[in-house]
Amino acid sequence: MNAGEPERLHPSVMAMIVTRDFQDGYIVNLGVGLPLECANAMPPGREILLHSELGLLGFGPVISDHTKADPYVTMVGNLPVEALPGMVFMSHDESFAMIRGKHLDIAVLGGLQVDVEGNLANTQFDGKPAGNLGGAPDLAYGAKRTVVMMRHTTNEGAPKIVNRCTLPLTAPRCVTRVVTDVGVFDIEGGRVILREYAPGWTPEAIQQITEPPLAVASDVREVSLV
Amino acid sequence: MGRGLEHRDSQSPWLPPELRPQDFFDVSLMAELRQLKKGITSFAVGARHDLIYPFEERLAEGTVEVEVLGQGSLAERIRCARAGIAAFYTPVGPGTDVAKGKEVRDFNGVPHVLETALYADFALVRAWKADRYGNLVYRGPRTFNETMAGAARVTIAEVDEVVPLGELKPDQIHTAGVYVQRVVVRPATPVTSWETPQ
Repeated sequence: MNAGEPERLHPSVMAMIVTRDFQDGYIVNLGVGLPLECANAMPPGREILLHSELGLLGFGPVISDHTKADPYVTMVGNLPVEALPGMVFMSHDESFAMIRGKHLDIAVLGGLQVDVEGNLANTQFDGKPAGNLGGAPDLAYGAKRTVVMMRHTTNEGAPKIVNRCTLPLTAPRCVTRVVTDVGVFDIEGGRVILREYAPGWTPEAIQQITEPPLAVASDVREVSLV
Repeated sequence: MGRGLEHRDSQSPWLPPELRPQDFFDVSLMAELRQLKKGITSFAVGARHDLIYPFEERLAEGTVEVEVLGQGSLAERIRCARAGIAAFYTPVGPGTDVAKGKEVRDFNGVPHVLETALYADFALVRAWKADRYGNLVYRGPRTFNETMAGAARVTIAEVDEVVPLGELKPDQIHTAGVYVQRVVVRPATPVTSWETPQ
């Protein structure tokens, strides 16, 4: 965050923005990092089945009190989660057959860079001798919709929504929505469309920390959780 | 079981394919003992900057090789080894570094990359119960354990207990004993994954 800039959205609020689009009956996979926040922000009154690459479908919220957790029921990120009725365990090959076979409605993934074509880079961290792909390439291909949840800028302040990804790609042309700590964006036809901005922010202020020119939606509005 | 590897003299050809945090204890041990030549994995490094795993150190030194690919392709390569399928086309990978040097072919207008089966000499899997035929049941997500069982010349299953034949019901068995060559009973109460030394 730069000095003097408006406050950025808390990850729990970003999670609520992402999960408000989850419809009743959706199968959803949450990536490691910020997307995991969504597990504790499920919209009330809707039955959503969470999928985890480890081989887990239909689990509940993350359990913070480890004394109450079943050590065998963990999701990606090695976090203990609540066992819900109807939950299914499976192997990795089955879990990924389910992903590639397009049985998931939404994948929420973290991002290092997203570009105007919807290309996603979330593999290679600075200063590390190799990258991590994890399940992201399969999820980005297989989910009917890929949403990226990330901070709008790097720790050094560089834009993460870019004209063209410079980091190694995780998957090409897969991202249709990006939720950051300053706004909500859709990626369509090579354009980045600003849909919503965080309280205190303006499209102009967001443009300053975004590399490609933003198309501002005609009905652009302040972020709303409904 | 990881501890037992400490006493082996031979150089292991690669590390178990999935670096789940609860496995770092084992994999790190092998890396520390310089028993790893190559890692074929979807998670090569830790995401944290303040925590450097031994495998990362070896990578930075240039004393191990690594092949990073998506977890779904890795799982299917192993499943194919178990199932006697030499290779398969997957839509995941084209347009990224993973597809470099591999055949890419269109099916219904969608590019697919050719991936080959990944056979191992040894597969170390973790299950809950076994019987004397080597039939296995697991607890919780079965991850690479069920996928790998049978994808190696020798599959060694570590279990909490071995139960009398017939106690595991035919409808419940996840891995048929035909895929399992050795069973090792875990000596102590398992360390919960979030308490695993890192």
